[in-house]
Amino acid sequence: MRVVELSETPAGAYCGRLLAGFGAAVTMVEGACGSAVRRQGPFREDVPDIEGGATHLHLNRRKGSIRLNLESAAGRRLLEGILSEADALVVDVPRRRWNDLGIDPSGVGARHPGLQVCTITPYGTAGPKSEWVGSELTLYAAGGYLRIGGEPDREPVKAWGEQGHIQAGLQAALGIVSALYADRGGQQIDTAIFEAVAFLLGGGYQHAWFRDREPKRNGARLVGFGPGHLYPSTIRPCLDGWVHAHCNNRYPEAMAVLFEEPRLAEEELVGSLMGRADEVDELMAPMLMRTARREIVKQAQELRIPFTEVLAPSEVMADADGHHASRDFWQTTAHPRGGDYLAPGPAVRFGRTAWVDGVAPRLGADNAHLGSAQDRVRWRRAGVA
Amino acid sequence: MLPEARLVPFAGSDCRPLDGVRVLDMTTAVAGPVATTLLGALGAEVLRIETPWGKPRHPSSALPLQVEGPDEPWNREPRQNELAHSKRSVALNLTMDDGRAVFLDLVERSDVVLENYSPRVMGNFGLEWDVLSGRNPQIIHVSMPAFGKSGPWRDRISYGPGIDAMSGMSWLTGYVDGSPLKPGNFYCDQNAGLTAALSTVGALMARARVGGQTVELAMLEGELQLIGEAMVGQQLSGREPTRMGNEHSSAAPHGVYPAAPVLGDADSWIAMACRDDAEWDGLLSVWCDDVVAGDGRFSTGLRRWRHRGILDEMLAEWTASLDPIELAERLQAAGVPASAVMGARTLLRDEQVLARGSVGGLMHPQVGLSPAPQAAFRLSLTPAPPKHAAPLFAADTVPVMREILGYSEERIAALLASGAASDRLQER
Repeated sequence: MRVVELSETPAGAYCGRLLAGFGAAVTMVEGACGSAVRRQGPFREDVPDIEGGATHLHLNRRKGSIRLNLESAAGRRLLEGILSEADALVVDVPRRRWNDLGIDPSGVGARHPGLQVCTITPYGTAGPKSEWVGSELTLYAAGGYLRIGGEPDREPVKAWGEQGHIQAGLQAALGIVSALYADRGGQQIDTAIFEAVAFLLGGGYQHAWFRDREPKRNGARLVGFGPGHLYPSTIRPCLDGWVHAHCNNRYPEAMAVLFEEPRLAEEELVGSLMGRADEVDELMAPMLMRTARREIVKQAQELRIPFTEVLAPSEVMADADGHHASRDFWQTTAHPRGGDYLAPGPAVRFGRTAWVDGVAPRLGADNAHLGSAQDRVRWRRAGVA
Repeated sequence: MLPEARLVPFAGSDCRPLDGVRVLDMTTAVAGPVATTLLGALGAEVLRIETPWGKPRHPSSALPLQVEGPDEPWNREPRQNELAHSKRSVALNLTMDDGRAVFLDLVERSDVVLENYSPRVMGNFGLEWDVLSGRNPQIIHVSMPAFGKSGPWRDRISYGPGIDAMSGMSWLTGYVDGSPLKPGNFYCDQNAGLTAALSTVGALMARARVGGQTVELAMLEGELQLIGEAMVGQQLSGREPTRMGNEHSSAAPHGVYPAAPVLGDADSWIAMACRDDAEWDGLLSVWCDDVVAGDGRFSTGLRRWRHRGILDEMLAEWTASLDPIELAERLQAAGVPASAVMGARTLLRDEQVLARGSVGGLMHPQVGLSPAPQAAFRLSLTPAPPKHAAPLFAADTVPVMREILGYSEERIAALLASGAASDRLQER
């Protein structure tokens, strides 16, 4: 499977990463300055470097790169040649530039009838907001998921990173493989970032439609559950950081054993745990504040209570229990400027068709495969490739 | 003024990508059911294998009965409506040999078994890969353990929010001056469900070449993809990434500001982002405040970012009395990325949601029209919106044994009598 990616955000880049992991040959077609994803830091020693940005080094592994000037007619002709051999095209550049770059989806689809043409835009290609512009923050707001994050008495706060774009990339990948599996010829796959966010709200629509109720953000606690629901499911401070505290849905009385606190098993409290979450927090606090994370989680898991540690990124990488190492998860990857770094390994493990990773390409690394040596000299001089 | 909430019933589709695919759905909680609702909408016939006594008889959250008929509150749970649409319901007792035999007969006639148990459970049922593939070499067995089927954490238990904690996602999420927070209610689950659906279709595509196979999606490893740049970045810079709240590393204003109530709800906000001078000029053209426009602290992008605290305060003072939906429209007209902070209630009234069918209606036999979001992509030739509302519990047990397995009426009656299969909710 061959995929061409015209991407300037993590949405298209993550879509391509997933397809590359599945074994597709993914080629980024980039402008003279390269994809904007290359310019996202951090960088080694804080020196900006289009070959060494963290997002590029993570999301663009095992892809090819062709540097083309799509604003020239010759550049667009070269792209047409590349598309004629491709199975899918992923586009997340803004709509206003599609015509100039020769990538209007209906036109591309008409010229390449077998090609899956997947666009990823803020609001989709149709509807009254289809021309609206968006950023990660505003699309997170537009999709409703921002509203449930954060403390009830403060402004809503979004999840770290660019999760709206990442989810849109994941959805786009699902759309592409579904279209390929359908085998009905080339399709237009119209993906909207705000809608990838709105999908995450899940059960929120049930509350809104049937009860005209909006789930209220709840700090680190679960959102949208009544006072009779089990609790905790929250993040609490402990001796050396934080733990994620979660009640076992089947045996809430095990909490009394873990915390040596009989009150936690009393029927009167167990029947209204979420409604009395503050009291539950107070009952847990003494043990949590005198015990380290690892020990709390060890004791809880022995009782089959699903507590986990809240780990910082460096602690995840340090892998104190050797779990990731035993699964060979972190992949030693060559940095384009020399040295190695560790990057996430497979998102999924297939029994017979291995997930594949590689290095992130230098800008234009695959231009050498375009045309003859003479052609390449001519294109370079003309500013085409 | 927003219109009334509306649910437009989803249009049907007579040509979905996974038409002809059959999935045995053994999932629980959130992540697995998300995967199988997606596969159902994509066209697969999803048979949800349920425990005959597997529902609370009087769930406190049951929705009101909207039609004449039996009072079965277990069929009116919001969670069931959300996570079982586009599926059929079959109740089997897998702890009984006869129940397991029915299941294995279904394996012979199916394409996918999808489960999200902890790793030991399928073995406890006697339904390991060797058994499944022995009955059907073309079967795809998708499992979604929390931490994976191997390694020191193999037998740890966790739900999605606990995995957010172990991945670094919770540590990174929160206010600049605050503690770690969840990235949403069930973010890890939603991500794992989507990734599992994607992987299932990938394995179906590969089946012509390699036959059936296992697919292992460790929820933790699926989530680590989402913040990989934090892990790579801390190696490059030597610094731990920090919680950023709603801030941007170099642009301002970039935040969430108070707004006038919407639908009577004072918890009302607008998000906006100015990433360059053009967007800042667009904001000024709507703000129309000469003091701000002439303030030297805001004359360049770098200065705005350095003085973002005072800029945010001034913006908040301006937006607090304004309708966020109208203000977002004005800002968008000026080229500024902006949106009211929507919620499920406002999304059900949003013109773009209605135009795209982002959330549509499914007719449920006991609660009436019920909302469901559809996936974020539209396929031009093989549309795949949700198919139908959640099934009534065990409604398909007998039809499936009759039509798919071709069992005789005598055999079906015997299975129902023994409790190996059930066509209704049983007392435990």
